[in-house]
Amino acid sequence: MRRTAGTFLTVAAVFTTGACSGTAHSDKGGSTSAAYQLTDRTPAAAGALDSFSWSIYAEPTSIDYAYAFDYPPNQILSNVCESLLRWNPDLTTSPNLASSYRNPTPTTWVYKIRPHVRFHDGTVLTAHDVVASLRRHLDPAVGSAWANSFRNVKSIDQSGALEVTVRLKKPDSTFNQEMAAGPGTVESATTLAEQGKDYGSPKGGVNCTGPFSFGSWNPGQSLVLKKFDGYWNPKLEAKAGRVKFVFLSDATTRVSAFQSGEVDGGWMVPTDSYAQLRSSQAGKLYFGRNTTVADEVVGDLKGPLGDTRVRRALLMAIDREGIVKAGAGGVGEVAGSLVTDNVWNSAPAATRKALLEDLPRYPYDPAKAEKLAKQAGVRGQRITIATSPLDSQSTITTQAVAQAAKDIGLDPKIDTLPPEKYSTLFTDPAARKGIDLFLTFWYTSITDPLDMYTSLETGASTNYGGWSNKDFDKAVEQAIGTYEPAAHAEANARAQRIALRELPWLPLHTQPVSVFLGNRITGVRPSIAYLYYPWAAEIGAKR
Amino acid sequence: MKRTATRALGGLRRLAGMATTLLVTSFLVFSSLYLAPGDPASFLVRGRSASPQELAEIRRQYGFDQPFLVRYGHWLDQVLHGDFGRSYIFHQDVSSVIWSRLPATLLLVGVSALLIAVIGIAAGMVGALRRGTRTDSVLMLLVTVGAAAPAFVVAVLLRSQLGVRLGWFPTIGNGTGVLDRLHHVVLPAVALSVTFMALVTRVTRSAMLEELGREHVEVSVSRGTPRWTVIRCHVLRNALGPIVTVSALLISGMLVSTSIVETAFGMSGVGSLLVQSVNQMDFQVVQAIVLLVVAAFVVVNALVDVAHPLIDPRVAAAGSAR
Repeated sequence: MRRTAGTFLTVAAVFTTGACSGTAHSDKGGSTSAAYQLTDRTPAAAGALDSFSWSIYAEPTSIDYAYAFDYPPNQILSNVCESLLRWNPDLTTSPNLASSYRNPTPTTWVYKIRPHVRFHDGTVLTAHDVVASLRRHLDPAVGSAWANSFRNVKSIDQSGALEVTVRLKKPDSTFNQEMAAGPGTVESATTLAEQGKDYGSPKGGVNCTGPFSFGSWNPGQSLVLKKFDGYWNPKLEAKAGRVKFVFLSDATTRVSAFQSGEVDGGWMVPTDSYAQLRSSQAGKLYFGRNTTVADEVVGDLKGPLGDTRVRRALLMAIDREGIVKAGAGGVGEVAGSLVTDNVWNSAPAATRKALLEDLPRYPYDPAKAEKLAKQAGVRGQRITIATSPLDSQSTITTQAVAQAAKDIGLDPKIDTLPPEKYSTLFTDPAARKGIDLFLTFWYTSITDPLDMYTSLETGASTNYGGWSNKDFDKAVEQAIGTYEPAAHAEANARAQRIALRELPWLPLHTQPVSVFLGNRITGVRPSIAYLYYPWAAEIGAKR
Repeated sequence: MKRTATRALGGLRRLAGMATTLLVTSFLVFSSLYLAPGDPASFLVRGRSASPQELAEIRRQYGFDQPFLVRYGHWLDQVLHGDFGRSYIFHQDVSSVIWSRLPATLLLVGVSALLIAVIGIAAGMVGALRRGTRTDSVLMLLVTVGAAAPAFVVAVLLRSQLGVRLGWFPTIGNGTGVLDRLHHVVLPAVALSVTFMALVTRVTRSAMLEELGREHVEVSVSRGTPRWTVIRCHVLRNALGPIVTVSALLISGMLVSTSIVETAFGMSGVGSLLVQSVNQMDFQVVQAIVLLVVAAFVVVNALVDVAHPLIDPRVAAAGSAR
């Protein structure tokens, strides 16, 4: 999704200030893959638990699903409010509040609503609630963060007591997938009407159907969820009676709260505390599936980086292995593309194989890179790389990129911006003036590369450098309009190949999801799906 | 009779001065925030792709499209009616956002003030009375280190040693109930007050030394007045003026410096709220907090002015003779 400022805020919070930690586990081969492993599921919970506490790097500003587009609100809300479909930890999608769905014509999606599902106030879920919830995204006065997911929607109507029909202006293969994320969230229509502007605030709270209900919100301090006894799905019934989310903005404070046992766990562990927490007696650090790629965005295509050869040369000159080791605590892989491999899950094996073989590659080769840049004749030209001083990872990455620019004969200048100014790079074209490169950590919230590549279409507000390629746009539009998996993947692959040949953004490395669990708790499935999947319900007592 | 009238007039003048200070501050705060770079509307959409129409709608909803003076007038009118507006970020009334954070900060500042006043002044007195001894040099060394130690360094040190390693104090949160709250506030209060304590110690020490060297003190001592009486009636009483002024200013200034300590100990207070609101351009909240802090300064200064004649009769005498 278009999650830029939010994404940056995360970056700011995930990585602590302080010195570079070096590699967490220095394996001699130079490959980073042996330094960590991904965990699908932590040991199953042995039983119920009264309560556990969880740290978050920032307080949500609201838990209204229409504004929930960032890590803090989503990791709470995923346990309270449910969507029509569900994004699972293995990044597959399955029915949820919609027990089934049909696609009778390319522009019609019909959702059968699950019967006997209750909201936290005891009322029963109806099609009316679904219509009211989804229609909010179409209302400009609401200003939903997900409005873009509904750009192709013509109408949302009740077509039966437990049936909702969505009509699209044109076929859109991402629409149904997004019903498994924030855009598909269902809230009680009555609650929405009653709470008005207090909806989703500490005063109003929310009233949904998830395994936990909203308990209390002590602004600035914590938010408590309570187990919902009337939950419809026995498989995801909550094991803990209460979850207390504690807002801790300072990364070292979070880490010491883990170590002293004052909080039981948390997502997004600061990279430079990996080593410390791996050897901690207080609990265990896990890594899981993610869809995040760290990229250097080319913000100015009129400068020296306007020449494709220079962008290719720069990527070849960046020591991406080194960035993973020194900047990301040794955890992650050099990125071969702007999306992670696992978002291709639904593509047929043959397409994936062909795609991998056919992908432009940029192995680390400063000598070749220098030659290439020389051909472009950009020697001595100034480029500006923006960064923000909040975390060691950004600093290290930025320095590595500057070094690469120098190696190919450019004259790099690092421009350090305050965090709030940095996030305006993602929203305000005027702020990007004179900035050639800036770092982002970009994730997709559906299992489809299209979620990334639509961001680079001509004229998209997330296409920061104003890059434009007709063939790319055509491929993306074709993928959006094609439901058949093989043809869809084929079109996606075409878009990806063009993006990697042209490099409007430079992919640096992938980064797994990290989660710390204290000694009292277990059962969570480490995965980026925690933003939409009721992960806290699976956490229970260790012994 | 005449004197009462003069006094009442003086009081009114002082009130008018306070009101003017607040008014000027409010204007400065309001205008400086609107001069800051960045578009609040783009913060409200938070990085998602918003169409120009959507942005225009947001500007209209929040009144960003109106002329500056109209906005200021409107805001001032609201503030005078006790309404600080609605936070853009928290979707709540600013007053309730601030009220929910104020108790933690007041407790933190209160405990720190106590530490500063009691320990700072006591240490300063000891230093002055034991001038040149080993106690004095140890104290001065501590003062130098304390004055130079940044709050966040002290915070990290206290947290890792007394919190995580020894487990004596909680390292995060505000706590619930009186005792638990006090338990939670100890480390943050120490971290916050170390620098200020050192400053007060130094000021107390030099003010006392100055008084000790005065002629009338020497005369009193030579006349055989008991040492403690001399210190209490002559030295301390005269030295108290500068000590109280400095302490009061430091303590009211502390309201702004709580942010680092609050963040380090995961406390939710006004300080951390201010930083967060500045970063997110939550204008209404920033304006309200800044006004609050300025008001606290103004009130504390007024209190010091009022207290001065009580502490030091010479001030009162000078005032009435004028």
